[in-house]
Amino acid sequence: MIPRRELLLGGAALAAGALLPRRAAALGEGSALDIAEIQLSSGTSSRPEAWKRLLFEVIQTTSVEATPRVVQLSPDDPALFAHPFAVLVGDGALPPLSEPARQQLERYLAYGGFLFVDDATGTSESDFDRTFRQLARQLFPTRPLTTLSADHSVYRSFFLIREPLGRVAVHRALEGVAQGSTHALVYGRDDLSGALDRRGDGRDANACVPGGEDQRREAVKLGVNLVLYALTSNYKQDAAHVQELLREGRLE
Amino acid sequence: MSWWVNDCCGPGGTLVWTTPAWGLAGAVLVGVLLLAATLRPWPTGRRWLEVAAWAVAVAALVFAASGAAWVQEGDRVEEGRLVVLVDASRSMTVHESDGRPRSDRVADILARLPGAEVYSYGEKLRPGAPVAWTDGDSDLGGALDGIARRYAGERLAGLVVVSDGLDRGGLRRRMLGEPEAPLPRLGGPLTLYQVGTPGERDDTAVVDIRAGGFAFLRTPFKVEVDVRATGSRAQSVPVLLSRDGQPAGRAVAELDADGRGTASFTLTPDKVGRFLFEASVPIGPTDTVPSNNALDLAVRVVRDRVRVLQVSGSPSWDQKFLRLFLKEDPSVDLVSFFILRTMRDMGSGYNASELSLIGFPYRELFSEQLGSFDLVVFQNFDYEPYFEFQPQQLLDNVASYVRDGGALVMLGGDRSFDLGKYGATPLAGVLPVQLGVTGDPVAPDRFRPTLTEAGARHPVTRLAGDHAENQATWARLAPLDGANRTMGARPGAAVLLEHPTETGPGGVPLPVLAVGEYGAGRSMALTVDASWRWSFDEAGAGHGNQAYLRFWKNALRWLIGDPEDQPVVAEVGRDNYEPGQEAAITVRVRDIAFAPLPGALVEVAVSGPGGRTTLTGATAPDGALTVTVPTADRGAHRVRAVARGADGAVLGEAQTVFAVTSRDPELDEIEPDVAFLTSLAARAQGRLVPPGTWQEPLRDPEAGRRVRDRKVTPLWSMPLVPFLAIAAATLSWTIRRRSGLR
Repeated sequence: MIPRRELLLGGAALAAGALLPRRAAALGEGSALDIAEIQLSSGTSSRPEAWKRLLFEVIQTTSVEATPRVVQLSPDDPALFAHPFAVLVGDGALPPLSEPARQQLERYLAYGGFLFVDDATGTSESDFDRTFRQLARQLFPTRPLTTLSADHSVYRSFFLIREPLGRVAVHRALEGVAQGSTHALVYGRDDLSGALDRRGDGRDANACVPGGEDQRREAVKLGVNLVLYALTSNYKQDAAHVQELLREGRLE
Repeated sequence: MSWWVNDCCGPGGTLVWTTPAWGLAGAVLVGVLLLAATLRPWPTGRRWLEVAAWAVAVAALVFAASGAAWVQEGDRVEEGRLVVLVDASRSMTVHESDGRPRSDRVADILARLPGAEVYSYGEKLRPGAPVAWTDGDSDLGGALDGIARRYAGERLAGLVVVSDGLDRGGLRRRMLGEPEAPLPRLGGPLTLYQVGTPGERDDTAVVDIRAGGFAFLRTPFKVEVDVRATGSRAQSVPVLLSRDGQPAGRAVAELDADGRGTASFTLTPDKVGRFLFEASVPIGPTDTVPSNNALDLAVRVVRDRVRVLQVSGSPSWDQKFLRLFLKEDPSVDLVSFFILRTMRDMGSGYNASELSLIGFPYRELFSEQLGSFDLVVFQNFDYEPYFEFQPQQLLDNVASYVRDGGALVMLGGDRSFDLGKYGATPLAGVLPVQLGVTGDPVAPDRFRPTLTEAGARHPVTRLAGDHAENQATWARLAPLDGANRTMGARPGAAVLLEHPTETGPGGVPLPVLAVGEYGAGRSMALTVDASWRWSFDEAGAGHGNQAYLRFWKNALRWLIGDPEDQPVVAEVGRDNYEPGQEAAITVRVRDIAFAPLPGALVEVAVSGPGGRTTLTGATAPDGALTVTVPTADRGAHRVRAVARGADGAVLGEAQTVFAVTSRDPELDEIEPDVAFLTSLAARAQGRLVPPGTWQEPLRDPEAGRRVRDRKVTPLWSMPLVPFLAIAAATLSWTIRRRSGLR
């Protein structure tokens, strides 16, 4: 008899019906996971199809109750607090935040919200990168953006990820700003949303270079991990998990 | 002649004037004036004789007023003194094999030492032989120091100690355990008269019980009991350890050649609070001191950290915010298990090696480790897919865990309550809501729960100290996304929050938050999965997340039922007292919001071996009342405090315990300590005289003391002075009368 645990961990044989997306089954739609895209007056872009794809993957792959809903909000919109997972996709120079927007974003991150910032340019230097760093300093004057260590929970919150990749594989690392024992803000510069994005006909919007579809697969896994990290924070740093993964040889 | 001059004026003396100089000058002045008055008119013929007589009388008076004295000083040597120290402690009342107490032998010894200066000692040194042997804590070292101070500089002829050697002041320990320990100051050669013969009595005793003062909840701790048996050939002694009167363990102490041994117990406390442990050994028919066969000790069991098991069936914002709260509380030791993937999620084509998932050790958690947690949280967790083996047994374990004093929270979601199929499981019996919903198990509309009357009073839902502010806070909190339906509250449970529109059987509003007590444990049901909005939405509105934190802090505190967080708490200043000390008992009374409650009427009943004492009083503005009770009787004392409101309604009660050492240390050990007496005699180069024999005490033939004598003879009071004054005055008067003078 195959232990249920093994099945839970990796059983591949499942009814085909499981591949179909399921609706959120939380008590109300409000508590199901969705994504808020933060839009500024300039420098940001919107990729709702990329985030819907991510939510679809989360629904299909994990036990998280999610709904494929993406809303666009400005950083000073009070509705932001109905969506604890937010993303900001940038492709140009960002304007400074207004004081109300800064205060609200700061409160959002301090009280449990999570923000993933994605540099859609995928280049080594960009106006977006430069202006976002200024914005990060505006939000966190005393806490710098730092590169997340290889054993950070975001790399093991669901999948074991060795290298964070997106549409491109230039930087192969994530940065973040610590909020207590976790990171409320994570910054990627390899255009993750570009790897997830789809056109209206359902085809991928962009090619992933240099790794092609394998790289896109890794990007999807990274997206899922970001969601799970936002929900479980440093859960995967708990001793029980680390010891078990080490014992099984899945962590070095 | 010597009578006339007070035997004064021997050789080597000196004349001193005891009257102050101004008095002396005044007396001389008065004398001169008196004489001058007699010289007018100028004397002639026989008047010279009359004036001379008058002058003698005045001079005698002036001399008397001068305070003249003759002082003689000189040294001499007196014979050295013999000082006897008699042990006056209660161990001297132990009867020897001949039926006579040890103290009887003291009289025999003192009768052979006439002229000795006798002192008795227990804790303190007193002059004179003991009248009653009632002292405790005999301190020979302190007594010897006292003698050394009292006879400082004097070389004693001898120093005698009459004792059974059972010293409790530290000298015995130093003499036997520290070869280089200095001797106390001795003013002369030491002779020790031993009273009591070893091995003559049959006695088994518990000598000591050690538990380290306090223990941690659910953490094994060791209790060690030292026993001693004399007069028998026993090689082991059975020891019984009881906790609050109930057997807690049995062990055997193996005895060494000296009849000493230790029994060890390992206990794992399952409750916090103060508990009385008693170690006892059997009392044989010939046991000399039955009272030393048991020993009490109060041990405080404290909580190290609150250990919480959070099991979530699905990662969610509700789970995240609760984890953040628990994880950031330093007093919480959190163990989390989240189901990240179910059978439904396995068609996505990823290999197990790509995943960081681990197995869910449900069997270990809900069987072996369950008792190590103070609180178990089922957060939208459905047991059925995971509890493969003996699911009913595992859930029954959880129910038993609650009834035995554990705490359980079930939070809402699509895998909770009836949606988690708990209705027909043992867990349903320890939930404060009734399961078995037959219709739609979810009330999906957004709603803002209503604070019930019970909720307005209960500490779990007290978000603000002020009643109106508390109501306003609940009314302000963000709406929730939906709720699990139930069949209403279980009988005996309290509904703190209810649905504003949805109702259950009988049209009763649907419970949203309910609490209940089952056996010794507590449970709470929150039928929503969006309490995180009380944190995040509140923060978004600029109110911070205090409402959420306070709610869960209240819930945590109430659920674990910490004795310090009960409405009525009784505290005793110390765990263990000595007889004669006063035990201070403080009773704190708090209202449902845990605010101090002044003016509460408190009755404190203290039950001990000597009976029951009841004290009453009212709490002060700080909600506390302190009473003191004397601790005359040895043994366990149980305190029960009942607080009542002004209307007589019981607000709550609390219990605690303290121990008054149930033992007389003087009778714990009754075997004479010959080793100590021998060691002391050897170190002091003295003599030990065994019982039943007689030897004279060691004496220093050259001992003695130099005494300085000082003899002061007052000259002004010698009979010659008034005689001269009176005789001269009479002569003067006679001459004047015969001369026709006035």
